[in-house]
Amino acid sequence: MNSLWIFPGQGGQSASMLQGVDADLRTHVEDLLGLKLQDTDEAYQDSVQLQVGIELLQVAQIDAMFKAGLRPHLVAGHSLGVFAAAYALGSLQKDDLFRTVKRRAELMQGAYPSGYGMGVIVGLSRSEVEKLVARVHSTAHPVYASNQNAEDQTALSGELDAIAQVVALAKQNGAARALRLKVPVPSHSPLMTEVSTQLAAAMSAVELTKPNGIYLANYSGRAVRQVAPILEDLTANLKYPVYFEAMMGVARDYQPDSIVNFAPGQPFRKVLAQKFGDLHQINLNQMSVSDAAFLLNKWERGSY
Amino acid sequence: MEKLHFKYQATQPIDHPVHIGVVASGDLEVIMKPTDKTESELNIVTGSDGFKEVWQNVLTRFFARYPLLADFEINDFGATPGVVNLRLTQAMEALKDEQ
Amino acid sequence: MSEERNWATHREAKARKLAAISSLLDGKIAQTKDAKTLLEGLIAPGDKVVLEGDNQKQASFLSKTLAAVDPEKINNLHMIMSSISRPEHLDIFEDGIASKMDFSFAGPQSTRVSQMIADGTLKVGDIHTYLELYARLYVDLIPNVVLVAADKVDHEGNLYTGNNTEETPVIVEAAAFHDGIVIVQANEIVDKVPRVDIPSDWVDVVIPADEPYQLEPLFTRDPQNINELQILMGMMAIRGIYEKHNVQSVNHGVGFNTAAIELLLPTYGEQLGLKGKIVPNWEVNPTPTLIPAIESGWVKSIHSFGGEVGMEKYIAARPDVFFVGPDGSMRSNRAFGQMAGQYALDMFVGSTLQIDQYGNSSTVTNGRLSGFGGAPNMGSNPTGRRHSTPAWQSLRPDNDPLGKGQKLVVQMVETFGSNKRPVFVDSLDAVKVREEAKLANVPIMIYSEDTTHIVTEEGIAYLYKTDSMAERQAAIEAIAGVTPVGLRSNPDTVKDLRARGIVAFPEDIGVNRNQATRSLLAAQNMEDLVKWSKGLYNPPAKFRSWS
Repeated sequence: MNSLWIFPGQGGQSASMLQGVDADLRTHVEDLLGLKLQDTDEAYQDSVQLQVGIELLQVAQIDAMFKAGLRPHLVAGHSLGVFAAAYALGSLQKDDLFRTVKRRAELMQGAYPSGYGMGVIVGLSRSEVEKLVARVHSTAHPVYASNQNAEDQTALSGELDAIAQVVALAKQNGAARALRLKVPVPSHSPLMTEVSTQLAAAMSAVELTKPNGIYLANYSGRAVRQVAPILEDLTANLKYPVYFEAMMGVARDYQPDSIVNFAPGQPFRKVLAQKFGDLHQINLNQMSVSDAAFLLNKWERGSY
Repeated sequence: MEKLHFKYQATQPIDHPVHIGVVASGDLEVIMKPTDKTESELNIVTGSDGFKEVWQNVLTRFFARYPLLADFEINDFGATPGVVNLRLTQAMEALKDEQ
Repeated sequence: MSEERNWATHREAKARKLAAISSLLDGKIAQTKDAKTLLEGLIAPGDKVVLEGDNQKQASFLSKTLAAVDPEKINNLHMIMSSISRPEHLDIFEDGIASKMDFSFAGPQSTRVSQMIADGTLKVGDIHTYLELYARLYVDLIPNVVLVAADKVDHEGNLYTGNNTEETPVIVEAAAFHDGIVIVQANEIVDKVPRVDIPSDWVDVVIPADEPYQLEPLFTRDPQNINELQILMGMMAIRGIYEKHNVQSVNHGVGFNTAAIELLLPTYGEQLGLKGKIVPNWEVNPTPTLIPAIESGWVKSIHSFGGEVGMEKYIAARPDVFFVGPDGSMRSNRAFGQMAGQYALDMFVGSTLQIDQYGNSSTVTNGRLSGFGGAPNMGSNPTGRRHSTPAWQSLRPDNDPLGKGQKLVVQMVETFGSNKRPVFVDSLDAVKVREEAKLANVPIMIYSEDTTHIVTEEGIAYLYKTDSMAERQAAIEAIAGVTPVGLRSNPDTVKDLRARGIVAFPEDIGVNRNQATRSLLAAQNMEDLVKWSKGLYNPPAKFRSWS
């Protein structure tokens, strides 16, 4: 099986999403971190609850896939999802993952209490967005072109007023959609450099091993097979845009025969349709791991 | 889902209605009906938002070449500009062939 | 007199290498498990290595083996490949086994190729057309080692490459006659090959592969996916180009536009009374959408660059049309096919991803360096051509006493791609890619000066009739729809261009748009093609929706 496994970041969470998670695993993580996971909408306002919750869900799904005898050939995490991606290739160990993710959430929470966030522009090219950003950006009012999630879909990251100005300019210049996102942190921009540095320090004792497959890196959009660029992605992806569109372009060159979208949410429908057409896809947001395993095995046998 | 409305000066009145195309993915239907007004009116419902300027360009080009005076109703399900032009010109041809 | 020079250093080096691995061979035949040891013994650091891989057939066992060698033993290879198709073709650069690449086509790996060039991981010698790359194997890229694939090999080492002979002969010859080493992966070792495509004395080592070489059904187009715009454009092309210029010989590109034309000949072409009058002779892969035209008597001959999965039995049963050996299977030859495509054809019809305001076209788009393949050989006017045909002569300018004809080079495109992005642009993405990848030239697939016709859903621009760049641009604008280029079109200019026959809309050439429906296609789906072939065509599983 030549499967591409995709791990989304924040955004698709919902209350009770951890209900199906293996109880022993959940207890283990809660004990490890000294943290009681609430799994409620209210709790998911809290960055630590949210980030640890999402990664617990993804790790539980990965373990279940492993148990069903399934392994990825390619992995792509988006933002927070990089940790599960590195875990899926055996590069990052479980306990290291959860300790790091908790620390990441704490650092992000403390970094920009108010006045900063993200936006998105649909219908303009990245170079067009970069031109608009350059007209607004200043040291006092910083804004950056951030994640590239599809060819015509570029995120903004920075100060809220500056984002609002770019959004207004984008609408005047023919964007199909332009809006602020409900994200309280200017993620994936140079404003996160300090957080990245602290996260790298927190990860200095963590040992990564060589991945058993191809890892698609957020910060470069490259396919990598070595430890160093994976470590860079885990610690520093917050200060770079996520080049998700480029990651999927490279993934296509590896000619995967199926895609598994891990929960929560299903945010990449558009770019996946653009890049992969009608390639077989599994959405673990809507399907149990055992159903997924059944389908993947059936496709592998070639009986459509 | 977006509703668009356009008016164009036109000189060639049509004398009976015509219906071309279907509302299927990547396609659209065009309905033209005779009108008493002095300009063509178009009511468009489209599944793809943010393409008002493209629609205007397609229609401007069409009316410059084929100034049909009619009421137009267009229901679009994500057709490319090429398909939109094909359906409009097919409707134009259908009217001519019947004359 | 100084000391006598040794004139056989290559031969002696080759003999030494072969002697060192001779214990692993039984005659020329090796064992699968020794593949890696053999490559490590026969390839030296810095060697020029041809790895066979064109857009259909891949020496996949040898490419996987090469990716597994020890970079301490083999490194800095200079790879020469007509097509970069498989992930391991690039992994060898990441791992230091190879450092430089001369190639033609990188479609299936175009994103990674462009990233690795930008990162400096892959150093590009140059990007070629197929013919140029083959030619350089005999001039300044003479290979030290070639790695190729065969279907069947006998115990002597004679190769049968059959339907998929493709570029094996041109690669092997370059090494075999200049003391290069020829290593072959074999699908099967047999007592007797059906016919000898490559004689054993050109071959040094044969390794039975663990699985058959990768073969892609690249030229199979399911008629189900042909849309009405493509049908309309096909009707316009048949009327406004094939018929008008009395075209006798043609190459079709890979796209659905030309598949539509193939399926319109037995229906629309028949209605126009064109059967027996146009396109009897083809240089084209055995594309299944040609079956209805062949069966209804439109086609006299087809020579092919390569085979096509599933067409083997059908081809074998039609030796009057295809090039079939005495054994009953087709022989393809990519080098001869490209030569024919460049020099012997009246017309090339293809498609592209971008056309600029002047008529230059490219399939290179931002972040994807796909290379050229063979299209520029077909899609160019060979100025060395001296023989005349009616179609060629019909493009001769009438104001030049020394004038001559021109090959018809036709681009068929919808004005907007399926992603709703304009095909007609002011400046090609290729211009930017040239800067990023530091290429010597902008990677243009077909230049404006060679492009004689452009067909869109709006009409045909007869570019060869224009007498200035401004007029050429106006003709393109007239059929470029509502792209940024098309929006510059002026209604009065369009009227004038139509009156002078430089631009034709469907109504100007008697094409009825309402006839452009899918029912006009001679086959609606793959099952229809099988029926037309009388059950001889056997589509690959991924094209089967029935049974």
